[in-house]
Amino acid sequence: MTRLILAAGVAALAIAAPAAAGPHGERGGHGNGGHAVAQKHGGGGGGGQQARQARGGGEARVQARGGGEARVQARGGGEARVQARGGGEARAQARQNRGGERSAMRIQARENRGAERRMAMYEQKGRAQGKANVRAAERAANRANIRTAERGRALNRQAVRQEMVRRNEVLGRNVAPVMAIRENQRAPLQIRQGERVNFAQNLGFGVGGCPPGLAKKPVACMPPGQADKLLGQRLDVVRDQVAFRDLPNRLQYVYADTPNYYYRYGDGYMYRVNRSDDVISALLPLFGLGYTVGQAFPAAYPYYAMPAAYQPFYPSSPYYDYRYADGYMYEVDPYTGLIEDVDPVLGYGYGYGQVMPLAYSAYNVPYQYRPYYYDTSDYYYRYAPGAIYQVDPTTSLITAVAALLSPNSLAIGQPLPIGYSAYNVPYAYRSTYYDTPDAWYRYSNGSIYRVDPASQLVTALVVSALT
Amino acid sequence: MLKTLPLCVCAAALALGACGKSNSNTMAPVQSSQAKEAAGDKTIAASLDQNSKFFQAAKAVGLDATLAGPGPYTVLVPSDNAFGKAEGDALKNPADPKNRAEITRILTYHILPGVILSDDISKAIENGKGKALLATMGGETLTATKDGGNIVLTGGDGSKARVTQADIKASNGVVHDIDAVLAPPKTAASSGRPQQEKR
Repeated sequence: MTRLILAAGVAALAIAAPAAAGPHGERGGHGNGGHAVAQKHGGGGGGGQQARQARGGGEARVQARGGGEARVQARGGGEARVQARGGGEARAQARQNRGGERSAMRIQARENRGAERRMAMYEQKGRAQGKANVRAAERAANRANIRTAERGRALNRQAVRQEMVRRNEVLGRNVAPVMAIRENQRAPLQIRQGERVNFAQNLGFGVGGCPPGLAKKPVACMPPGQADKLLGQRLDVVRDQVAFRDLPNRLQYVYADTPNYYYRYGDGYMYRVNRSDDVISALLPLFGLGYTVGQAFPAAYPYYAMPAAYQPFYPSSPYYDYRYADGYMYEVDPYTGLIEDVDPVLGYGYGYGQVMPLAYSAYNVPYQYRPYYYDTSDYYYRYAPGAIYQVDPTTSLITAVAALLSPNSLAIGQPLPIGYSAYNVPYAYRSTYYDTPDAWYRYSNGSIYRVDPASQLVTALVVSALT
Repeated sequence: MLKTLPLCVCAAALALGACGKSNSNTMAPVQSSQAKEAAGDKTIAASLDQNSKFFQAAKAVGLDATLAGPGPYTVLVPSDNAFGKAEGDALKNPADPKNRAEITRILTYHILPGVILSDDISKAIENGKGKALLATMGGETLTATKDGGNIVLTGGDGSKARVTQADIKASNGVVHDIDAVLAPPKTAASSGRPQQEKR
């Protein structure tokens, strides 16, 4: 974008320069399409002689100075300069005529030495410029190489994903829509800096003790090590370190106060406080393991405890690895071991009562469910594989599982998944779509599909249906 | 003019025919009074006993809102006695947040996509030569068989439950009461560490 603006500015200058030039040649002149400056100084008594410089860089300057000296300079790319002083030559000629050959030789030698010095100076300058140019070129080449490598890595990731999709297709699994959704889920990370800032402010980043590095990360958090230090401290002492928020009503059932304890929520943790002395006696991280983007995934955690139903959706590759832990799927860089992304995984924990990662800031509910689940000032709704979540906008805590979506959804052209042998069409559609020897009808995730009984292939989506 | 007129008429007829066909395929049929009567006015969440252990467990993991939503789902509801006999501590103390993952895993094993009436299960068993696999919302399957006139459901770990009352219809699905808690197959995920409070 910056380059575009600069290019537009240069183009505007190029257009404006000739337009600004006067009709009588007082101003004007182009140097090989570059910018042109023309000046005329009517100075001194001699007036009127002009010196002209022509630079190889496309710049032409015309100067007229008083003083009776004519000078013509021609620069070829800044490295060579030829100078001839008309006045000097005239004076040397006069001396030659008057004084003889020795003085002429001295002048010639002086001029030669001067010329040599100047040549040497320009050569040195040229070499320095050349070295600078080489260094700049090398830096540019390095940057280009890095960009190329990054592009290559991205392409490799894409190729690996495509290969996984192809394999899954061969195996009869349809993961393309889910992969597409997951891609879309990542995309908003690039564009919602403003939201991220708001989110950070709401949750007390900077106030709540998150270091600046973590403040930019998409999951609300205080680093676990820092949170540990709050244990055993009085609540009123840590109030300036933690941005406490009221718990959403729906979650007060889960974290119900007792005669001995009460709960407070802040910066991604639930704090249990002793009623007797207001000391924080326990804290519960509400984002998976308590680890977030940019932190190292614990090496001691079970190697690959991913639920079988989600393994096709999260294929590991040489470029990223997936680890499941406590209701969340972590994308881990296999080389650094750092967490790159966090997804709530549905089916084995659901993240209910936990923080919805900010990666889900964009509304992404499947089309057929949108009339039922749309964002309001009271709740947001977000889809992640397996369910649609209800999210409290103030705390970003998941307050309910609004709808379950089957992980083994039906897709046109794919075999009927195992487990759909029983007719399951909703009441309102049973009179229209009933099984016959030529066609079966099955419901899945808001839609009714037609299935060929002979081949067991899903042949069509006949209606989007929700009761 | 005379030559082109029939062509135009045919094209218009085809276009209208196509429109009619697409409408019949994509437009949702108006819910008939018969269907409404069959479904009733109550949602699954409303038709369940609010003090039952199943509903309390669903509420503890946020699934009560699911059962009050548009669905449709087929829900297998174990009796309170069955909850008492169930293995493991998770179901006995659903309010404890560290049990949330396990409870969710068990409950989603009892929720099936769409409306599956007992007749539908029976037909599937018949077509499947004595057994039918039913997909669950947890991504696993359970097996349905017949024992005499009763439908018997078998979980992934071999647990068995008999349908004691079938086809309790709701506006967003159907409920079948069962006499035991079904357990999904044990996976690596289920052996993962539960979320721990730091003390």
